[in-house]
Formats: sequence, C-alpha cells, structure tokens
Amino acid sequence: MSDLAARPLMKRRRIARLWRSFRRAQNWELSTGLVIIVIMVVAALLAPYIAPYHPNQINIVDSLQGPSWHHWMGTDFVGRDVFSRVLYGLRVDLLVVAVITYLGLIVGVTLGTISGYIGGWLDAVIGRVADTVIAFPFIVLVLAVVAIVGPGLKGVGIGIVIVGWALYFRLSRSEMLVMREQPFIMATKALGYSHLRAIFRHALPNLIRTSLVYSTVDVVVNMLVIAGLSYLGLGQQAPGADLGSIIASGQSYLLSAWWITTIPGVVLMLFGIGVSLIGDGITRGDLTLGSL
Amino acid sequence: MSLLKIENLRIAFPARGGITEVVRGVNLEVHEGETVGLVGESGSGKSLSCRSIIRLLPSHAQMTANVHFDGRDVMALSRKAIRDHRAHNVGMIFQDPFSCFNPTKRIGEQVAETLRVNAGMDKSAARARAIELLASVEIDRPEQRYRAFPHELSGGMRQRVMIAIAISAGPRLLIADEPTTALDVTTQAQILKLIEQRRRDLNMAVLLVSHDFGVIAQACQRVAVMYGGYVVEAGPVDEICARPQHPYTRALLESIPSLESAGHHVRRAGIPGQPPTAGEIGPGCPFANRCAFARPECAGVDMSLEVVGDAHATACPFVRTVSATSEAGGA
Repeated sequence: MSDLAARPLMKRRRIARLWRSFRRAQNWELSTGLVIIVIMVVAALLAPYIAPYHPNQINIVDSLQGPSWHHWMGTDFVGRDVFSRVLYGLRVDLLVVAVITYLGLIVGVTLGTISGYIGGWLDAVIGRVADTVIAFPFIVLVLAVVAIVGPGLKGVGIGIVIVGWALYFRLSRSEMLVMREQPFIMATKALGYSHLRAIFRHALPNLIRTSLVYSTVDVVVNMLVIAGLSYLGLGQQAPGADLGSIIASGQSYLLSAWWITTIPGVVLMLFGIGVSLIGDGITRGDLTLGSL
Repeated sequence: MSLLKIENLRIAFPARGGITEVVRGVNLEVHEGETVGLVGESGSGKSLSCRSIIRLLPSHAQMTANVHFDGRDVMALSRKAIRDHRAHNVGMIFQDPFSCFNPTKRIGEQVAETLRVNAGMDKSAARARAIELLASVEIDRPEQRYRAFPHELSGGMRQRVMIAIAISAGPRLLIADEPTTALDVTTQAQILKLIEQRRRDLNMAVLLVSHDFGVIAQACQRVAVMYGGYVVEAGPVDEICARPQHPYTRALLESIPSLESAGHHVRRAGIPGQPPTAGEIGPGCPFANRCAFARPECAGVDMSLEVVGDAHATACPFVRTVSATSEAGGA
C-alpha cells in the first residue's frame, strides 16, 4: 500500500523533527555530552582503520617517546603506540560497559515492573534477593565473582550484572506501584488487554525514563569499576589493552613518561563528563520520548 | 428481555476489625438498547456497582452477586472469558479523560491498538477504522488528530476519543461512569448528545452514572437512586422526577436550581449533614439521620424496594405517610 512507500519518508521526517526539537531545546548539556560521547564511540568503532599502529606492536627503539607527529600520545615502555592502545582499549571498555550496564537494566526493569504489577509473594521473593544484593559491598561481591570465574573482563562483567540489576529493579518496581493505580492502566483491564500488554506496552514507556537517567550514572560507575579492576590486574589481561591496564602499565614511569598514564586517564574522565552531561540533558526533559 | 441483570450485589472491603460493606444488596436491570441512570452522592457505591459488571474491582474487594449478562453468569466466567467479556460485550468510559490515556502514545494508536488486540485487525486496517471511529465521535480532521498526543487535546476531545475506544468493539452495553463530571457545561451537553447518538446507531444499552440528576433526567429512560450502598428508589425517570417517593430523592430533586428561581435570591434547600462513610452505616435506613421525616422505626427498615406505582419502587416504607405529612405541611 501507499503506507509502505511512505515509510522511509516518515523516518526521515522523524529524524528531522528530533533534530528540530533538539535545536529548539538549546540543551547545551545534552549537545556537549553527545558530542563527546559520539566522538569517542566513533573513534572506538573505527579503531582498526584510524589507529596508526597495531596496539600490541612492540618497538623497543622508540620506547618512552613523548607525544609527537608519529606517536600522538607517545609510546610506552616497550614502544607501543599509546594512541592506538587507547583506541583499542576504549573499544573494549565501551563495549563491555554498554553490554553489562544495559543487561543489568533490562533484567532489573523487567523483573521490577512485573514484580511491582503482580505483587504478592513473587514481589516479596525478588525484593528480598535485591535487598541482599544491595546490602553486600559492591566491589567485594564483584571480586568474589572474579575469584570464581577467574581474572578477566568476563568475570568482572558477570559480577557487575549480578549486582547492577538490583537498583533498576527497585527503581522500576516503585514506579510501577504508582503506575499500577493510574486510571489508564485500569482502562487496559476494562478493555480486556492482557497483563503483559498492560505492563510492557503501557506502563513501561511511562516509567523507563528514571532507569535510563540512572543508567547514565551507572555507566560511569561501571566504567570506573572495570578500569579499576583492570588496573589491579583483575580485568583485562596483558597484552590486551583497556584504559585501566594502560594506566597501570605507565605507573612506574609516571615521572619520566607522564603521557602513558595521564592521557588514558583524561579519556576516562572525559567519558564520565560526557555521559553525565547527557544524563543531565535528559532530566531537563525538553526532549520528549514522543519526538523520538 | 433484559441484557444485564444484577441481583443482590454486595461488595465489601476488609477494614480495621472486620469488613466494611459498601454496596449492600443492589438490584439493577438494563434492557437491550435503553439508557439507565445511576445517581447518587460520592461514596454511595455507584461506581463500584458498575465495575462489578465487568468484575473490575480492586483485588481486595469481596464481591457476591448474581450478575447475568445476556443470560450468561458473569460471576462464573473464567479469567479468559472475563477478558473476552470486557473486550467485546461491555465498553466503559471513565470520569477523568485526563488520566485515562497512556501519555506516551498517540491517541490514534491507542484507538487502533484496541482494534488490533480485540478485533484482530492488521495494522493498516486498524488505522483506517480508527480514523473512521474518530470521525464518528465528531472529531474534525481525524487523520491529523490520529497523530496527536493526549496532552494536545482538550478534555471534551479526549472524552470523545474515549467513547471511540469504548464503542470500537461494538459493545452491547456502554458503561459511562460520570462521563461529564470533569467537563464544562457546554461540552457536557455535546458529550451526552454524542453518547445518545452512538447508542441509537449501534443499538447498545447505556448505563449512565452521575451525581447530577439534571444529566440523568436529560439522558435516561429509567433511573436508580443510590444512597449509602443501597438503591433507595428506582423507576422511570419522568415518574420519579414528577413523583419522587423516597425522602432522599426528593431532597436531591429539590436541591437542583430551576429556571424559575433564577434571578431570585432563593436559598436552595440542601440536605443537612454529610453523606455517611461506609463504616458508619448500621442496620436500617442510612438516610435516617439526615431525613426530614425520620422516625424511630427507620432504624429497623430492611431497605428492600417496594413497588409504589407503575415500575416505580422505593425502599422507604413510610412513603404514604411521608407524602401526607409533607402535603399537610404545605411547603
């Protein structure tokens, strides 16, 4: 039908509308944050194409070189190009942090909305599990999982998801308790809709924003945990690069070759600032989900 | 033949130290294609009574009744069958058009969703039908309105969309729970007219709930007056307006301003006191403590309806004497 032909056009109009509402909003937090994060993500995605060297290519002759045209961020103690290593490290870190944070969000929000909607013993059981997880010190629990799974990003990732879902659960559960009493949710029952439709089609879009905003805090925290554990040697294993392990590798040369630790540190910091700005921008609420 | 028959409906909620009954043995009948009014103050149990028709009560409510819809026992329906019943037999309009829509979905999509879920239409058919429905509830430029979000529409428009959703499945009965309370008077008249029009076109019955006797008198053929969880009087609207029997109905009718009194500084005779809360109601007539004709025997009245005229029944057993006194009083 004509509907089909009109689809790509509608999509383009939608993007145009989003862009307009974005410009109209003059949301400097959101635009600055987006610029930082988009540059980082694109750089990480294109790492194989833009990295001037292989991240693990050793060149002893050029070790501990300062930033120059050949090595934008200098070289480390075995002559590896820090810029290439940062790009590849960012690639690993961004992938891992996105997967584990949003895996935690999906698990937590799904359980939270169902639990809040149904209530009763199911709610009590999942709620107590979440309480237990939250009551545990975060790092200790992640370390325990790493101890079981073995060092590496896999263990760190599993550990963070096991802990991370609980806060999303609590957030979305409490929002659901409010949502459940809303007339439009009761109206779904009067129309004979299924519970799943009421939960996921009607309640979820109205309560997801809190979790999305919280996830921008969570992403930063998780990024720091991953980098921190890699720094301690529990995350990314040598010779693989990740921001934490690059910082760790340059630590002994801090006074003579500051660039090995400082530059990945600045990248980590910029990531945190960028994501937080996006979070602030979203909370300002000039952009509606509808304009998406 | 009667489309809906509710017999001895009782709804109670657990409360401190026992249970509180809020609906106390209501009988109600709706015939095919007619408009029945249910009138009463807030807390008189009228909304709960209507929700019982589709068993849409809070989960902690305890309900006992014989509810028959088109000859089928609603209380015996399985979970699946009750969803079917809600989807196809009964349409419902709620009081507050502001909070009954999902704020994140376009209104057209919300109409189309009903068609897709309950009538099994595909996306484009549902869209086309939704636009037709929007047009049928007199929304102009329905194609554009289809894409509007609930907050972009006025209260009256939203109420129209709610009607469109409620009638989308071609229900046999439309329950309108205070459909005009949140609207201003002009819009109110339009909405009532629209409901009446849709009722005639689709040949459905309407159960109109209101606390405004004026609305009921304008729209309904028969009416049941509720007070404190009881139906205190029921019968044809004209008959009840002309010859109200129960003291509560009288007081209610007397409190409506009339055109004749406009411009004169006449104080409307209100009903003294406050409507009782469900917990305060004991045995006997719940209206006794506010009733101008109360007598000691009122505490022992069993509140069942007694026929006093052609299809006209009231729960007050002292009506004859009450009428006599009030005429003797020469008010």
